[in-house]
Amino acid sequence: MALKKKKIKIPALIPSAKGIKSVEDFRSALLNILEDVEQERKRAEEEKNKTLSIITNLSDGLLVFDKENKLSLINPQAELFFDIRAKDIIGRPILELATFPALAPLISLIGEGIKAVFRKELSVKESVVLEASTITMADREEGLGALVILHDITREKTTERIKSEFVSLAAHQLRTPLSAIKWALKMLIDGDLGQLLPEQIEIIKKTYQSNERMVDLINDLLDVTRIEEGKYLFKLILTEIEPILQFAVNSYQEEAEKRKVILEFNKPQKMMPKVLVDVEKIRIAIQNLIDNAIKYTPQKGRVTVSLNYGKKEIGVAIKDTGVGIPEDQKARIFSKFFRGSNVIKVETDGSGLGLFIAKNIIEAHGGKIRFESEEGKGTTFYFSLPIEEEFAEFLKEF
Amino acid sequence: MLKKILIIEDEEILADLLQKKLAISGYQVFLERDGEKGLVAMRELRPDLVLLDILMPKMNGLEVLAEIQKDDDLRKIPVIVISNSGQPVEIDEIKKLGAKDWLIKTDFNLQEIIQKVKKQIGD
Repeated sequence: MALKKKKIKIPALIPSAKGIKSVEDFRSALLNILEDVEQERKRAEEEKNKTLSIITNLSDGLLVFDKENKLSLINPQAELFFDIRAKDIIGRPILELATFPALAPLISLIGEGIKAVFRKELSVKESVVLEASTITMADREEGLGALVILHDITREKTTERIKSEFVSLAAHQLRTPLSAIKWALKMLIDGDLGQLLPEQIEIIKKTYQSNERMVDLINDLLDVTRIEEGKYLFKLILTEIEPILQFAVNSYQEEAEKRKVILEFNKPQKMMPKVLVDVEKIRIAIQNLIDNAIKYTPQKGRVTVSLNYGKKEIGVAIKDTGVGIPEDQKARIFSKFFRGSNVIKVETDGSGLGLFIAKNIIEAHGGKIRFESEEGKGTTFYFSLPIEEEFAEFLKEF
Repeated sequence: MLKKILIIEDEEILADLLQKKLAISGYQVFLERDGEKGLVAMRELRPDLVLLDILMPKMNGLEVLAEIQKDDDLRKIPVIVISNSGQPVEIDEIKKLGAKDWLIKTDFNLQEIIQKVKKQIGD
């Protein structure tokens, strides 16, 4: 690291009339100065060594680019990540670095101009996953270049994967006995195995419903693991969103009536542009939102689904007159397994996965989801999906 | 003559329940518990329809489907896959391998399975 030259005040060099004594003074003053300079130099050297040894021994990888975007430093950890030697790449501009296969993924992530990146995942070598962040260094107005920090998250990713695999395996294993219970109970209810007393049928019906809830929960868990494994979207087709919404609204009409909630769909008058979606998945997202709206809206309430579109996206709103989301819990609403303290009182069971799944589905399509809510008055969820050309742009980034 | 249905399913309880339901519904039912024996039974029995599980010992359902595809006679027998997972990738594979229909066990009741059977071969 370059040291800034320190300005040292030097006494006037012209000997005064006081003669030899003054020369002596001058000499000792000069020596003093030299000594000071030497001390400063040593201190600076020490500082430099300290800084260097911190950089060298950092467990994170570090790359420093100067203001012309030339690589001015790479620490040993980063050399290790990329299997590359500092002497081969130091001083080279970023465009040239992109030609090194090992560095290509990093350069394509941060771009030629070293854009702002915060904790973005980056795969290097086999099975090494890094989290990259860039920091622009500036001294007042003057740019000093940029830092690229690489944090090794391989272990975290592995743990996450093992956890996902475990949940997936457990859920799959649970499906066989759940199917057996489902089939057997239904046969009993249908009288296939002999006529039962009404009381017996009543209890078996309730047991059947409990089993169905377990099936739903297992399916939700499987959806979550698929989302986490990043293999969620499957078949994208170009289609209109209206029939999908209509289907979802229709399928909840009965449930809404049972709960004495009005469920309506405000269809747009004009033709809607098409969107590129995995129909099955989008349907799950919409159903999760409608399901919540109906479940947490008291009798005589109203749930309104509406559809509109702008230049670049279509927008869907699901508005309810329900219990709302408590202010202090709004930040956590899309977290896995989270359920609002007020909704737990309304409905004791629920996996807390619905909104997490919905958000992931919408975002995987390049869309956005948000909400407005007031406790006791109601909630509106809004989500958007990019119109086809926009989505193609979004996919290009991957 | 009752129509013959062959179930190839390794899970005992599921196979038993299926067998009972199909028998009640008026079919003649046969059962094999792995893919290999299932294929042999298909050749010997010439069933009108096969209900095929996917995850099985010895030879799994996908392999059985692939074998059926190679055989001009067996290919004529409609197969309904009864799967445990319903992963889109798996469903795609099943369709490609010529299965007439498929269903996910936890999502269907036996009554609905019977309806699918009837749709293929009638009563």
